[in-house]
Amino acid sequence: MDFGFSEENEAFRAEIRAFIAENVSPEIVQEMHDGTQGAGIGPLTKDLIHKIGQRGWIGMSWPEEYGGRDADIIDQYIFEEELARARVPLNLGNFIEQAPAIMNAGTEAQKQYFLPRLVRGDVTFALGYTEPSGGTDLASLKTRAVADGDDFVINGQKVFTTRAESSSHIYLMARTDPEAPKHRGISIFLVPMDTPGITVRPLWTLPGGRTNEVFLEDVRVPKESMLGAENEGWNIGASALNLGRAGARRYCIYVSPFEDLLKYLQTDDLGRDIARDPVVRDKVAELYCEAQVARLFTMRSLSMVRRGQNPPYEISSEKIWGPEFQVRTTEAASQILGPYHQLWEGEAAPNGGSFPRQYVNAMVSTFGHGSTQVMRTAIARRGLGLPRE
Amino acid sequence: MDVLLNEDEEMIRDGVRRFFDAECSPDRVRGIEDGGARTDPELWRQLAELGWLGLALPSVYGGGEAPFTQLTVLFEEAGRALAPVPLHPHVVTALALAEAVGRGECGPLAATLVSEACVGDSLLTWAWSERLPGMGPETIELSATADGNGWRLNGHKGMVEAFEIAGHCLVAARTQTGGSANGGLTLLLVAPNAPGVSAVARRTLAGDFQSEVHFDNVYVDGDGLVGRVDEGWDLARPMLQRAMVLNCAMIVGATRRAAERAFDYAKERHAFGHPIGSFQAIQHTCADMITWVDGAELLTREAAWHIAQGSDAGLAAAAAKAFTNERCQAVLREANQIHGGYAQVREYDQQLWYRRAAAWSMRLGTSMEHRRAVAQALEL
Repeated sequence: MDFGFSEENEAFRAEIRAFIAENVSPEIVQEMHDGTQGAGIGPLTKDLIHKIGQRGWIGMSWPEEYGGRDADIIDQYIFEEELARARVPLNLGNFIEQAPAIMNAGTEAQKQYFLPRLVRGDVTFALGYTEPSGGTDLASLKTRAVADGDDFVINGQKVFTTRAESSSHIYLMARTDPEAPKHRGISIFLVPMDTPGITVRPLWTLPGGRTNEVFLEDVRVPKESMLGAENEGWNIGASALNLGRAGARRYCIYVSPFEDLLKYLQTDDLGRDIARDPVVRDKVAELYCEAQVARLFTMRSLSMVRRGQNPPYEISSEKIWGPEFQVRTTEAASQILGPYHQLWEGEAAPNGGSFPRQYVNAMVSTFGHGSTQVMRTAIARRGLGLPRE
Repeated sequence: MDVLLNEDEEMIRDGVRRFFDAECSPDRVRGIEDGGARTDPELWRQLAELGWLGLALPSVYGGGEAPFTQLTVLFEEAGRALAPVPLHPHVVTALALAEAVGRGECGPLAATLVSEACVGDSLLTWAWSERLPGMGPETIELSATADGNGWRLNGHKGMVEAFEIAGHCLVAARTQTGGSANGGLTLLLVAPNAPGVSAVARRTLAGDFQSEVHFDNVYVDGDGLVGRVDEGWDLARPMLQRAMVLNCAMIVGATRRAAERAFDYAKERHAFGHPIGSFQAIQHTCADMITWVDGAELLTREAAWHIAQGSDAGLAAAAAKAFTNERCQAVLREANQIHGGYAQVREYDQQLWYRRAAAWSMRLGTSMEHRRAVAQALEL
């Protein structure tokens, strides 16, 4: 067991910190924040992404032939962690979440086209999985892709398709064989968002951000846009989903409300007065212990992936513990800060009003990307071998 | 960074588990408890022969000089097997003596005891807590007053493991009053049969014994001094951290086994025509159980790693202990719930793990106390 980072890791961390200090101005952070509220990716943000891409920090743990630099996956973790710690609201992980699946299942032409563009940020994917009739029961999806000559014609609807308005492509799951058992008749398509027949409608969320509905009406795509073999989409998607639930970025989302609360209690005049109460101290210390578990679960997943394992249940544990910790933290913070916690803006709002935003944001973690109930079932069945019936 | 076990650690885990699987059956554990024995001498002899009593002690005294992380894995397995031997007090005391010897802060007695501890010839224990349930230095009131070349001890210790069968007991005493709570402490080696020592052994929830020990003008000569006079906290602080981490390792090992037994039971036990493990209510409980015990294990191992690195483990050990105490109790509770009525039955084995792991979580500081330490370390 080795819980420390090497000198090389720490040197890389210093490099990232220096880069952030030099290149991430308050103006860029504001522009990126506006971007999450529906303004799209602005010019300053694009420039920053370009600089990051130039340094080879997007997809850095990929093989060099696909535009990565074969870096240790730990460096990827450190990069994501430092960006999140600096509260840079730039989700580079989302840019490349689908890359491992393309590396594993893609044709040579798909790899050559998508991977370098993903690294540069020229191609971005919105995730076209969830439908109005089912997200958790993903395999029951109804969107149909019907072969027609050299094309497929796709009809259906997706929902909670975040970044559909700003992404170049959608990573689309559709049913290609309605007669097969529900897990076996699904395929994945990599579809440009400007393909005729795609309509995007915004759904505004409580924290202020945007997600979408995506309507697909006679969307015609060439057969070459299919990823992997026909009707094999479930296995390709499920493996990517499991690994996509791990990593520093998610861990930082889970613990950032706690870190903000702790900092406020340590440094603010009012916060320090509040933190004299032994009951508050006990609660905060309890949350601290739980935050370490969230961190260690991420480090465990990373250690397993680094050893070439696809963790049977550990990532699901991470995806339960982290989000539920995040919710527990925001609820505890609401009772520690009391009336101050509700203030969205103004001088009296602790931490610039971040707390109520985090409060309503926390719920997304417990159902986004696989609900905690489904994660528990996965642990019981895949991890512990408990029977289906 | 790789938080999984390395090859050496896996070897220790597999070897120790194989040994206990073969030698330490639940019946054997039950036999020691039912007979009221303080230890299993045959098992102790075997552990000594295998070199596990001295696993992390210096090689010059016959130890294995293994890193503390490997020792932690050994303790996880000892907890898993409910090994009915006083491994914890013995190793915790021997490591403290070895540290004092290494610093050149003790007489020849301590060095001899470390050598004997490796081969199991001398059983060691330690006495810390008194009246209050906490472990802080402010709880130490037992007084040691200088007398010629030695000291006179007066007072009592509350919960001492294996006291009557130990060759020596490392006692924390107050040699100076006033000043800070950390100052004025001195660690002294006392023979349990020394004149003026009286002890009453009391059965615990775990089925083992802890002694209340009274010291009535007990004389300790200069060779009994371990560490520096009035500055015993320097040695006691790392000793307590090691004790907490090894205690957590035992709790985690036993709790994981209790959970695994519940998972197995859920696969076999049928209700309403199905194995109960197919019901979502049971499945989700099991998912929480493995998540909680894994969390406790990772916190414990990280604290062990800090100790092995020689870095301060105060915050990590306190966090591990606070979390392990409470979350492992919760896992044990759910394991009982899955077993239903059988969990309460003496002749059924589940209770062997439940009672011990629960009792261990009541030793070496409460969760509240450790969270107080965490809050302080965070400069709240």
